[in-house]
Amino acid sequence: MTGFAGPRVPTPEPDEAIDLCRPFLSSLPISGVSVTVISSSGTQSSLCSSDAVSARIDELQFELGEGPQWSAARSGDMVLLPDVRSGGHNDWPVFGAALRELPVAALFSVPMRMGAVTVGVATLHHTKPGQLKQEHQNTSLVIASAIAIAAVQRAMASAADDVAPESVSTPALRREVHQATGMILVHLDTTATIAYSRLQAYAFSNGRTVQAVAGDVVAGTLRFEKTFP
Amino acid sequence: MSTKTREAQLSDAFVKLADILIDDFDVVDLLHWLVEKCTEILDTQAGGLLIVDHVGLLELVASTSEEAELVEIFQLAGGYGPCLDCFRTGEAVTVGDLDAESHRWPKFSAEALRLGFRSVHATPLRVRGQIIGTMNLFSHHVGALAPTDIAVAQALANVATIGILQERNIRTSQVLSEQLQHALDSRILIEQAKGVIAATTGMDMSQAFSAMRDYARNRNLPLRQVADGVIDRRVQVGRPAPQ
Repeated sequence: MTGFAGPRVPTPEPDEAIDLCRPFLSSLPISGVSVTVISSSGTQSSLCSSDAVSARIDELQFELGEGPQWSAARSGDMVLLPDVRSGGHNDWPVFGAALRELPVAALFSVPMRMGAVTVGVATLHHTKPGQLKQEHQNTSLVIASAIAIAAVQRAMASAADDVAPESVSTPALRREVHQATGMILVHLDTTATIAYSRLQAYAFSNGRTVQAVAGDVVAGTLRFEKTFP
Repeated sequence: MSTKTREAQLSDAFVKLADILIDDFDVVDLLHWLVEKCTEILDTQAGGLLIVDHVGLLELVASTSEEAELVEIFQLAGGYGPCLDCFRTGEAVTVGDLDAESHRWPKFSAEALRLGFRSVHATPLRVRGQIIGTMNLFSHHVGALAPTDIAVAQALANVATIGILQERNIRTSQVLSEQLQHALDSRILIEQAKGVIAATTGMDMSQAFSAMRDYARNRNLPLRQVADGVIDRRVQVGRPAPQ
């Protein structure tokens, strides 16, 4: 454990985090990928995104708590959306709508399996519609399982670190969101669950990301009052 | 016993094993069944399975009779015997006549003979060059196992190895998955608690963390437990700032 963290020095991107994304990019016909570890209680730690669009897809699924990654994590099966414009978003309507704002045509959620347990999801996307060929589906599953233990260990190491660096492409646990949740629960004299819902609701109704609003709360520039701000 | 019967028995055994391995199975039940089947097919009277545990010590996990159990335990306690030699060298050890070869393991041979065993065959459980245990068959009769029998024993032992590894793999995944959940959930509670402390005291996040950590250390409490209390507002860390 470390004491006072002091001012946060900008940290260079940890190379090894990007390494988890690389095998997907080099072996599959995709435009981008993100890798997220998900615990059995549904806590997510986002370990890498290869590009801004992948990072946003990951963030949306975190913010909304819905999307194909959650189905893949629960079922342990791949979720294949070869054409996201053609619908099929019944299980994640809000995410489906948000996806239309992004240059994403195909989305594939690949479970990271470790033995009988699913420990996370790799989310692959393509700017053009089209199904992932069977051999590429197999390859993606093999890669996802091959990186599973390393991903879990990295997520645990990051969680154990009191001042682990977080960045746009390695947001990990998105600590500011949880810090803001703690602050809001005091301001509203409520529970963490309700505080987090209020944070989410405020972000959506103002067209901002949860992370950005959380940053304002932690910085003290936004304060939730008992009457809705 | 005719070769035909043995072949039929053996193929039955493999079919049953395949069925067990693709389903949920209890590894101890599987190993018991396997060592019993092996004893039967190879016309021996008793059998036992020794498996190395997570700290590298051999453990008796299955045996067909009390006599077999005694012989195995005798070897483990004494730290020597054909099964242990098999484990150490990774090679099958066949002793066709324990009486005649008693000089190799005098005390073990005496004990085995006392329990009615005249010959023993130990087969290594091997995976990628690593030995994870041995399957041992004991006979009331003198005579080494025929090469075909040795091959059969090894084939069945290999299947047992797959079963053990599969089970261990599942167990390791479950343990790791529980550790992951604990690590991630603890961190989220700690971050939320930092937010609570920051909001109540006016501290910044790193001061809030230090205050909470000191609180936990001074009272010898786990950080996660303190964080839990802070979020539930049962625990007050730091002095509240005047509103």
